[in-house]
Amino acid sequence: MREQESIPTTKTQRSAKFVKTGFQIGGNYIKHYSKKLFNPDLDREALNEDNATDIYKSLSELKGSALKIAQMLSMDKNVLPRSYVDKFTQSQYNAPPLSGPLIVRTFTKHFGKPPEKIFDTFNTVSTHAASIGQVHEAMLDGKKLAIKIQYPGVADSISSDLKLVKPFAFRLLGMSEKELNVYVAEVEERLLEETDYELEVRRSIQFSEACKDLDNVVFPTYYPELSGKRIITMDWIKGKHLKEFLKTNPSQELRNKIGQALWDFYNFQQHELRAVHADPHPGNFLITADEKLGVIDFGCIKELPDDFYEPFFSLVSAGILDDKDKTIDAFRKLDMIFKTDSPAQVEFYYKAYREMIGLFARPYLDEVFDFSKPEFFEQLYAYGEKIAKMPEFKQPRGVKHFIYVNRTNFGLYTILQELKAVVNTATYKPKV
Amino acid sequence: MATAEQIRNGYIDYVLTHGEKPKSIYSFVKSLDIQESEFYEHYASFESIEKNTWAELVVETIDAVQQQEIWSEYSSRDKMLSFFYSLTELLKRQRSFIVYSLRENGSNHYTPAPLSAVKPLFEQFSESILNEGLETGELANRKFFTKRYKDALWAQFLFITKFWINDDSAGFEKTDEAIEKGINVTFDLFQRSPLDNLFEYGKFLSRNGAFKEKMRF
Repeated sequence: MREQESIPTTKTQRSAKFVKTGFQIGGNYIKHYSKKLFNPDLDREALNEDNATDIYKSLSELKGSALKIAQMLSMDKNVLPRSYVDKFTQSQYNAPPLSGPLIVRTFTKHFGKPPEKIFDTFNTVSTHAASIGQVHEAMLDGKKLAIKIQYPGVADSISSDLKLVKPFAFRLLGMSEKELNVYVAEVEERLLEETDYELEVRRSIQFSEACKDLDNVVFPTYYPELSGKRIITMDWIKGKHLKEFLKTNPSQELRNKIGQALWDFYNFQQHELRAVHADPHPGNFLITADEKLGVIDFGCIKELPDDFYEPFFSLVSAGILDDKDKTIDAFRKLDMIFKTDSPAQVEFYYKAYREMIGLFARPYLDEVFDFSKPEFFEQLYAYGEKIAKMPEFKQPRGVKHFIYVNRTNFGLYTILQELKAVVNTATYKPKV
Repeated sequence: MATAEQIRNGYIDYVLTHGEKPKSIYSFVKSLDIQESEFYEHYASFESIEKNTWAELVVETIDAVQQQEIWSEYSSRDKMLSFFYSLTELLKRQRSFIVYSLRENGSNHYTPAPLSAVKPLFEQFSESILNEGLETGELANRKFFTKRYKDALWAQFLFITKFWINDDSAGFEKTDEAIEKGINVTFDLFQRSPLDNLFEYGKFLSRNGAFKEKMRF
């Protein structure tokens, strides 16, 4: 199948996991209703619990490096929101492609005419799946366009799935729902934003405009007049996904060039715009034939408020981590150390988090950082393993903004590692 | 002389304003200021106005979908999906009346009275689509069951219209989902499936029972 070919292998594999979960959940429903035939009193609780168990089981089986890193920074407990993020961004592969008539319907609803009346040509067979929709190819005035169409009912199912899984998943992990709600709310908010295509078009235009002067980064042109609540029209960017790109055995020079473009793209946003494309998923980037980085998805944007940005990035700037009082002060501002903590606890968390931030800040310390060296990532994983075993981290800590900021930066580090890029990290420095 | 359309519009206006049928044809024609004979020229009863309204909507839908350029390229499945998407689009124009007529006429019946004229029309349309699918091999031809395919589609018709009148999602998005999922499942069942193969295998084994005996080691 053509659709499958363009999906990076890791995604396909991961999605297989979710397909399996899908089957299991389907099975749970069958089990439930057949039991119910004989025992009408059986309540839905049992069914929900079955589902949550299977969903969680499959989530925790996803042991990619990304998850490990997330696990580390999410301090074990926050894994759950992270898993939600994965689950729902990957759930695309469970969705069957939209039928031709539904595509026509979506267009007539928004534009009052079918796609073939709007474009010169329109391919009703989608070329690949996007996170919560599918992508079609069209031609208009000699230009090749990519048209993203959202599956109906996505927003609705995100909320209801979260509601379904939440209480049971919390219980399975043996933690209180109240403690985690703030993180789950953050994830839900971002996920729901992703379903708002009108917002995505506005942001895509705004961000591609703001980032247009960055070297070697290109964006498609967006067409708001051909976009709507469930449709986004943009230029078709021709290029290779990361995995395909790496298969062509690019030179070190080219790897560095792409790596630098990625680094600049992210750090320019974080430190100049204070809002960042928070989905550094390999599928959201294309490497074009003229050696540029194409960015194609602005569905997930995380804004960094000052009360988070300042304490957090002050830690990253050189010097502060050596000043214990200032560091503890910043940790307090970030809810990593609580007011109620005993002096022994303060000492404990200070040490643990200092090590973590120290690792996180490593690429910023020197002008140039070599992401191909395995030591840095080995230390990260080792730290993650250690943290995961510590009972002190059963209680969630850290402000909610960590979820997406960590996801973004560690996602970026992981891609740079895959690229084996040497990057000049001094281009856009934290501003505090 | 009042036209059929004027009478119908007058009737729809009346039921939507009053929330019930007029007391009698006499009082109704009086309110329209026409002769009773003019009413009977076009309609036999109030019920027939409702039936006619529905039938016209369905005929209009069938015309509209068949006029699409892409129609001939569609599979049977796509044709049926296209029909329902267009139907719910057209129904929107007269939503108040549709909701009134289905709610008013007891939804307990398998086929609510106002839909009795629609049923043969829809079945005829379904059969022509199903036959195309059977010819191209898109759908499985099963003894006995093939004749019941159209009943499954009629059940979908009733389900989808009832779902739509209760749908409160923006742009009736949930109805779109109900159509996409429901029609796909129905057509999945019409297609050749592992169950057919299982059935065939069972038939084969039972026919070859004697052979099985000899296979014992």
